[in-house]
Amino acid sequence: MLKINDIHKSFGKNEILKGVDLSIDKGDVVVILGPSGSGKTTLLRCINFLERADSGNATFGDLQVNLHDASKKDIHAIRQKTAFVFQNYNLFNNKTAIENVTEGLIIGRKIPKADAIAIGKKALDKVGLSDKYDSYPSQLSGGQQQRVGIARAVALNPDIILFDEPTSALDPELVGEVLTVMKNIANEGTTMLVVTHEMSFAKDVASHVIFMDGGVVVEEGSSHDIFVSPKEERTKKFLKRVLPEDYTFYI
Amino acid sequence: MRNMEKYFDISYIWNSLPVLLPFLKVTFMVAGLSIVFGTFFGLILAVMKLGKSKIAQKTANFYTTILRCTPSIVLLFLVYYGVPALADNFGLYLHDLNTAVFVVITFTLQFAAIMSEVIRSAYESIEKGQFEAAVSVGLSPFQAYRRIIFPQALVVGLPNFGNGLIALLQEGSLAYTIGLIDIVGKANLIIAANYNTHALEIFIALAIVYWVLSILIEKFFGKLEKVFSKGKQTINTN
Amino acid sequence: MSEGLNYTFLIDTFFVALSGVPITLFVTIVALLVALPLGFLLALTRINQVPVLNWFSRIYVSFVRGTPIIIQIFIVYASVPLILSLFFNRYNININVYDINPIWYAFIVFSFSTTAILIEVFRSALSTVNKGQLEAAQSVGLSNFQAYRRIIIPQALVVAMPNICTATVNLIKATSLGYAMSLQEITLKAKVAANAGYNYVEAYIDIFLVYIILCSLVEYGFKLYEKRLRRYKYASA
Repeated sequence: MLKINDIHKSFGKNEILKGVDLSIDKGDVVVILGPSGSGKTTLLRCINFLERADSGNATFGDLQVNLHDASKKDIHAIRQKTAFVFQNYNLFNNKTAIENVTEGLIIGRKIPKADAIAIGKKALDKVGLSDKYDSYPSQLSGGQQQRVGIARAVALNPDIILFDEPTSALDPELVGEVLTVMKNIANEGTTMLVVTHEMSFAKDVASHVIFMDGGVVVEEGSSHDIFVSPKEERTKKFLKRVLPEDYTFYI
Repeated sequence: MRNMEKYFDISYIWNSLPVLLPFLKVTFMVAGLSIVFGTFFGLILAVMKLGKSKIAQKTANFYTTILRCTPSIVLLFLVYYGVPALADNFGLYLHDLNTAVFVVITFTLQFAAIMSEVIRSAYESIEKGQFEAAVSVGLSPFQAYRRIIFPQALVVGLPNFGNGLIALLQEGSLAYTIGLIDIVGKANLIIAANYNTHALEIFIALAIVYWVLSILIEKFFGKLEKVFSKGKQTINTN
Repeated sequence: MSEGLNYTFLIDTFFVALSGVPITLFVTIVALLVALPLGFLLALTRINQVPVLNWFSRIYVSFVRGTPIIIQIFIVYASVPLILSLFFNRYNININVYDINPIWYAFIVFSFSTTAILIEVFRSALSTVNKGQLEAAQSVGLSNFQAYRRIIIPQALVVAMPNICTATVNLIKATSLGYAMSLQEITLKAKVAANAGYNYVEAYIDIFLVYIILCSLVEYGFKLYEKRLRRYKYASA
């Protein structure tokens, strides 16, 4: 459904992405792992045109675009098919939870207001915030804010949701509630591309795991392939560092 | 203290107020026009400062620095004498132009510089992520500015806009120096008619008028800020 | 004037305007010397809610911020001689109030207005310094005074610096209103020179240039100083 070919991106002299390929099918939950600075977040942002890639192609269903010089129309079309969940939530500060969720529906997609509100409420209910429709972001905890962020993405009913380290700005005790919500929507068959440091999520939920380092894909495969029998030295080193010594996986 | 009454008579303060107040109309008209034009040009300057063109940035910043360094009275006279002199070169005769026009030009120039900074800093206070989130849910860039960025920037900019208004009103008090009969001009006429006696009382009356106006503007913007600051937790700074 | 600018006059008058700079700077410096400590002390009364002084500072600041400086000048220039002559008469002091150098009035007015501005500057700067800083200083055995001098003030000063710079530039600009007290500063000197031949455009261009040079230098000086004060912030970045 989504195919990325040979994407390159530099910031000044730093080459962040050195030719990455990626392929996601409908219903996949693809998790990208890797040390910070490996280019995971940049890859995600380039797919949604929050950064302009230097070169590369994307095939999105029947839509084919060049990631460097896509037209405004194409960018708009891709953003209509995708949704993005940000590391620091980026909820609209001047809108309530329900307004945050319906903004894209009413203004971006021209869905009638009443329908949009119905969709929005359902999305907020799904993330367990049925009592917070009218709260402003400043009145919500970090975990609640991120759940609104997820509801905002889910409500758009996109072909794929891009998650950019959705739990890394949260206090440890709030990570669980967000991961639970993510697991639930994954179980409903939502296509997801997730950049995260949460190994348990990768292990339990991912249908496919990609390990990135230094701007390239080092290794990819099922979570069993990556966690239990990694082939590449760099993957092993990374896992050894992030996982406790005596941690064993049962899949 | 008996012989002080000869010099200071408090009744002059109350008696001059009804004569002075109607001339606030002139003060308001001049200030109002300067605000409208100044905000418009300030917006253009702010766009130049925030844009990608280095030349536009430099030009706008240079303009702001120059205006920040120029005393109002100097700018006022520079416009008053300079604009007609400049117009002469183009065969235009502007020496008989209404004084109010020169005052409006002066304070438009000044207010534009103030507003460009107010708008720039308000815009920059909004995180980039707000825009990114807006386009990621399918808003066009224009919709993102109008619905997400602008309402938030407005709240940030409002107090500074209010302060700018108060500053403009006060600097405007110098318009009498080129002969505008606003409230200060009228006060000077009253004093001249009294053969320069009881000037102090008239000046105190003037001070009261300006003081009350400034407090009203401040209160008004405080209220306005509360109305607009949806979603912002109020932090008590006192 | 359609013949264009009188360049000889333009150049000559530039130096006339320049000769007013010492008076302008003198008034500015005296006003700052009065206003910096006084503004700081009154800011403390606001922060610590000292009963009567707190209210006094509030009304004082509100008045100065609410009224144009030219009107403050008018009031001082009209009232101080009145009060002084009354005082001199009563105690049979033989001084003619009209012989007093106008620079004294300038000192009074500009110290008065700058103090009010600085109260607000210091108040907001002090309130940005975390309360924990004072508690930490006390916990290591510093007295209140020592805590302020060694910990709080250096941090507040960094925050206040840009605003003190703005206040100084505004003060320099405001001294151009000294003409209303016959103060022999930049604007008045050049204006008098212009009166002779109606070369007003040239005179005001000169005045304009002198202020721009003066204020740019002051802003530049403050920037350098700020950089030095900010050292401790760079270290952590």
